[in-house]
Amino acid sequence: MSVVFEVPLDSINENSSTDNLENWDSLRHLNLILALEEEFGVSIPDEEVGNLVNFKLIELTINELLK
Amino acid sequence: MENLKYTEILQLNKQLSGTISSAPYQIGILSNVTVNAGKEILEYVCRKNQIEPAIEIGNFDNIVQDSALFQNKNLVMVFWDTLNMFDQVSGFFEDLEDDTIASFKQKIYSELSMVFNNLSSTPSVIFNCFSSAYYPINVISESKIHRFVSELNRYVKENAPSNFVLMDIDAIFQQHGLSQCYDQRFYLSSKAPYTVNFLKHYMVTIEPLLLRNNGKLKKALILDCDNTLWQGIIGEDGLEGIDMAPSSKKGVFFHKIQQMAVFLSKRGIIIGLCSKNNEADVLEVLRTHKDAVLKEENIVIHKINWNDKAANLKAIAQELNIGTDSLVFVDDSDFEINLIREKLPEIQCIHVPTQISDYPQQLLKNIYKLFNLNPNKDDLKKTEMYKQQFQRESAKDQFGSIDDYLASLGIELTVLVDDAAYIPRISQLTQKTNQFNLTTIRYTENQIEQFMENPKCFTASMFVKDKFGDSGLTGVCILKEDEGDPRVIHIDSLLMSCRILGRNIEYVFLDHVIELAEKKGYSSIRAQFIPTKKNAQVKDYYEKIGFELLRESEGTKSYSLNISTFKPREIQYIKINTTLNA
Repeated sequence: MSVVFEVPLDSINENSSTDNLENWDSLRHLNLILALEEEFGVSIPDEEVGNLVNFKLIELTINELLK
Repeated sequence: MENLKYTEILQLNKQLSGTISSAPYQIGILSNVTVNAGKEILEYVCRKNQIEPAIEIGNFDNIVQDSALFQNKNLVMVFWDTLNMFDQVSGFFEDLEDDTIASFKQKIYSELSMVFNNLSSTPSVIFNCFSSAYYPINVISESKIHRFVSELNRYVKENAPSNFVLMDIDAIFQQHGLSQCYDQRFYLSSKAPYTVNFLKHYMVTIEPLLLRNNGKLKKALILDCDNTLWQGIIGEDGLEGIDMAPSSKKGVFFHKIQQMAVFLSKRGIIIGLCSKNNEADVLEVLRTHKDAVLKEENIVIHKINWNDKAANLKAIAQELNIGTDSLVFVDDSDFEINLIREKLPEIQCIHVPTQISDYPQQLLKNIYKLFNLNPNKDDLKKTEMYKQQFQRESAKDQFGSIDDYLASLGIELTVLVDDAAYIPRISQLTQKTNQFNLTTIRYTENQIEQFMENPKCFTASMFVKDKFGDSGLTGVCILKEDEGDPRVIHIDSLLMSCRILGRNIEYVFLDHVIELAEKKGYSSIRAQFIPTKKNAQVKDYYEKIGFELLRESEGTKSYSLNISTFKPREIQYIKINTTLNA
């Protein structure tokens, strides 16, 4: 997340979300999804893509997909 | 690069950002789909080649409008995807009336011609061909959409200006699989059809063009011998024991490598050998081995000895009068490759793969990427010319004074002005010449053509020959009249190929150009030296000619010369033929 949003690693925590990270805009959101899919080797269903608006939801969804 | 993850690319790109000092290479991206994820990938591809990019992505689906704004970029890339194009059409395409389709086609044609027009003077444009890969194929009767796309592509091929490179994205889809390249989910949600994988492959595919446009293609391929040109070790296995036979299981791969080396030598790429061996052994292979395809006459330079290869490669570059960064080195030994990577990191190294069947493919891929295989006549003669250079060097020793030697060469210059026949070669010289280049401004063929057509500019080109041979077009000087004062002319570019230097030609040529300017009625010449990493050898050139230094800031020097008081050097032994259509 830190690389995609071009912010320092320590500025990202489990409370990070589209509301408090300024660089998390819609274009970068797409880049984040691409990076996550490649990193974890998963395919995130379309209906989930728009919902992944904070760190916890991302964690939850990826864990779900990895099961 | 293809093996790097997206996040790794982002990281590496960030590390490289700000480390390259050269002027930014202006890239504009026009698209009717979202390609923003490609920006950092393209930046990384540029930066890893020491090109600092400045990328601007046009407004979404504004190709025609933004093409007018981007015409002054160095490079424009056009992603005009059929997916979003067909989305403009309401109704099921296959069910549309022919009239409707025809008028839609006319609309696209006129949009295309506007884009062609707007970008016709941009130095370089990459235009993706339209793809119908997204649509199912109907074998029984061709679908309307497929026919439509092939007609568009035909129109593009027939009408795109010559500065357009047409990129066959279907070929990328084919090589890597459409499902790896295109993700419908993201197209539907964000109009972003291309996967990161596709963007990586795409940027790697266009990399040679970036290298070419920035004068970064390589000039010489230097090969090791044992287990690089043939299977086995000549010093141990002997002439009979080494294998490069087209009929043998492993030899065939080496046979192909030799064929490629011959192919390159015919295209003006310098082929050299750098091997730890006894020189006589290797030469015997080239001369007498029945399967040897690569012969002595293909090889311009060889260093076959027991010295360390870094020193040998340095010596090769020096003798050829090219930078070490113009060399590509192939070897099978980890030790040698690592030594070169460590000591001369600017040399591109190719490691012979352990899986020897991959070797020809891998080398060919690198050849396509690193060398210009579309040479002009002068390139073709280059192997011959570099050889003559050595004969000249050895003739040097027989004469007492350097002037006696130069006089004995029988040097003849021919200077042509605004001769359109040489536009490709002139453009190529502006792209490739680094060392004897006063301003290092790169021009495309289109730009040179515009200079020639402009009555207020003139382009002098110089041909050199001597009794050892013909060096061809090896010097260019582009001059532009001052915008305010019609008696003043500026030297916009002045460059010469390094292989003719050291024979006073560099002075005689400019003397002659000054004379030309005088005949055209100018009374004063302005000139500039702009420093780069490679052109230090000419930093005092204008002083030597007799120009007056006006000012210097950050290394850039500005000069002026009053033609009426100028005295050319009297160098009797260089003869000048000129076509003075002044």
